[in-house]
Amino acid sequence: MPHLEVRDVVKRYGTLTVLSGVSFAAEKGEFVVMVGPSGCGKSTLLRSIAGLEEISSGSVSIAGHDITAAEPSDRGVAMVFQNYALYPHMTVAQNMGFALKVARRPKAEIEAAVTRAAEILRITDHLGKYPKALSGGQKQRVAIGRAITRAPEVFLFDEPLSNLDAALRSQMRIELSRLHRELGATMLYVTHDQTEAMTMADRIIVMNGGNIEQIGSPLDLYNKPATRFVAGFIGSPRMNFIASRVMRLSGRSVGFSLGEGRPPLDLEFAPGETLPILGDAVTLGIRPEALGDDGEVHIADAEVTVVEALGRETLVYSDARTLRTTDSESLDGYFAQLVPSQSDKRLGQQIELKANRSAFVVFAADGATLHDASPIHHK
Amino acid sequence: MTLRSRTVAIGLHAVVSLWTLFVLLPVFVMVISAFKSQAELFTRPLALPKQFSFAAFERAWGIGISGFLVNSILVTALSVFIIIFASSLAAYILARSERPVMRWVYVAIVAGFAVPLQSVMVPLYQLVSGAGLLNSRLAIALPYAAYGIPFTTMLFYTFFLEFPRELEEAARLDGCGRLEVFFRIVLPLSGPAIASGAIFQAVFNWNEFILALLMLTKSDVRTLPVGIYGLTGQYSADWPALMAGLAIATLPLIVIFLLAQRHFVRSLAGLGK
Ligand SMILES: Nc1ncnc2c1ncn2[C@@H]1O[C@H](COP(=O)(O)OP(=O)(O)O)[C@@H](O)[C@H]1O
Ligand SMILES: [Mg+2]
Repeated sequence: MPHLEVRDVVKRYGTLTVLSGVSFAAEKGEFVVMVGPSGCGKSTLLRSIAGLEEISSGSVSIAGHDITAAEPSDRGVAMVFQNYALYPHMTVAQNMGFALKVARRPKAEIEAAVTRAAEILRITDHLGKYPKALSGGQKQRVAIGRAITRAPEVFLFDEPLSNLDAALRSQMRIELSRLHRELGATMLYVTHDQTEAMTMADRIIVMNGGNIEQIGSPLDLYNKPATRFVAGFIGSPRMNFIASRVMRLSGRSVGFSLGEGRPPLDLEFAPGETLPILGDAVTLGIRPEALGDDGEVHIADAEVTVVEALGRETLVYSDARTLRTTDSESLDGYFAQLVPSQSDKRLGQQIELKANRSAFVVFAADGATLHDASPIHHK
Repeated sequence: MTLRSRTVAIGLHAVVSLWTLFVLLPVFVMVISAFKSQAELFTRPLALPKQFSFAAFERAWGIGISGFLVNSILVTALSVFIIIFASSLAAYILARSERPVMRWVYVAIVAGFAVPLQSVMVPLYQLVSGAGLLNSRLAIALPYAAYGIPFTTMLFYTFFLEFPRELEEAARLDGCGRLEVFFRIVLPLSGPAIASGAIFQAVFNWNEFILALLMLTKSDVRTLPVGIYGLTGQYSADWPALMAGLAIATLPLIVIFLLAQRHFVRSLAGLGK
């Protein structure tokens, strides 16, 4: 039986539907990360599970109990807020022990729980301080400590790292993963940052506009995105999207247009994959690391417009005027290319964009994936 | 700063300085008069006293100021306590409720602010009289409280609208019921609103005269303003003692006000949202 189960949850504010029938389940001890763009309903879903919002329909159960109508404190959840939400008039120790104090637990038990949580989070030295004397990272630790002392069935995190600077964020990512292993607790973690999702999750739930787009392990989502939205959201830099059309069909071989004057791109569809119809508008997707100077397919000629040398790798952006994109977040003809080394490409240089046939993904006009790419393995 | 804005600034400062003098001069005269002898008070009214004598303060204390002071403190403390308690709770519920009817309740409470005291004085007297409260401290403490609640509710309401919701949500997850959230989290963090509400109402109730005159006819229950007024006829020969009594009545508030003016100004600046 799943430890946390969300079934057909609908949430409406007046006429605005924020969650339109969301269902998923998490096993005991699983670290589930929910990602999606701002405003897609992640916080609303988390707050509905916590009992801070009343859902319009659907149900939530934890550890086998239906808690859809239970009080927030009776649900066995603890929540860590983005803005920490520490009580400013209480010390760190009082903040962490507050839930137990409200529950009238004996002093010794409260103290033991607080001490243990403080040790796990390495904030023992700060127990007597007030929140305003702490740095952002320390406040976030206290907020997590407050959740730990309650020993909840499920931890809920709402973008807990988004107020921290980049260096601290990557450190806290590692610590949260460690914490998850140590506590063996079920965690549901919300973020709009795909890097956090990829690095921490056992399983990722991708949300978009109040719906779940796909659920899967990080690499599943990366290698076999179910929709164009997931393909664009997971992975940085973004996948390149090329507007194309089905030019010919013979058996399971499909030819896609690659702009005027260029031969069509022929892809072999696997037996389970849905074939498009001749003339269909489709989108071809290709990951930045799959683009290079050599490959079976010559996609386009392009001019280098931006070179970002990151040391270990280089990001080359180029402009291929013959191609259009179907991605509202990038400009027509602009391609991102990730070179896994330092590169001598210069601004203004004319290059050929090439890739192997197996690197292309095909999406239908409605966004559903028709054809998957094969992952790239470096030896 | 441009020449124009500097001219405006100088002009504003001049107006405010004049106004301050206008307000403070009577207070100043009252205080120095309290230290003078009767003769000196009339011959050199605006000069500093030749020697500072506390004789007038002793005489004032002797003719009953101490009793009035106790009454004033009790009435003010009780009314301010009721006002803060009732207004903060009411404002919290009004600020957090999503029921449309609550907006109307809020409007009704705020409308109470606009009822002039004079227009309800007679029915109020009958009410207090009917309740058998005439000549008791409650006779004015309760009406004072009623009069202070609308304004103070507005004050708390604007404060609570800005209060961070996550703190309340965290407390609910930590097991607090609605009332516990209010008393353990919200109220302890409402210091600025409590301070300014309390000071504002304390000043008003400490100085209130008309109601106190109407409801308190016996000398032993009178508050300072009416008590001292009652002495004017009887002790018209002793102006220094009256001035000393008035000084005793005025100074506590000025001191409190000076200590807490920061809170006071800050929370009034947030009103009107
Ligand atoms: N109390 C509310 N009343 C009306 N609309 C709301 C309320 N809370 C959130 N919303 C709307 O619901 C949508 C989802 O919000 P939210 O769950 O906070 O998104 P996310 O956390 O994914 O950024 C947003 O469009 C937001 O404007
Ligand atoms: Mg959010």
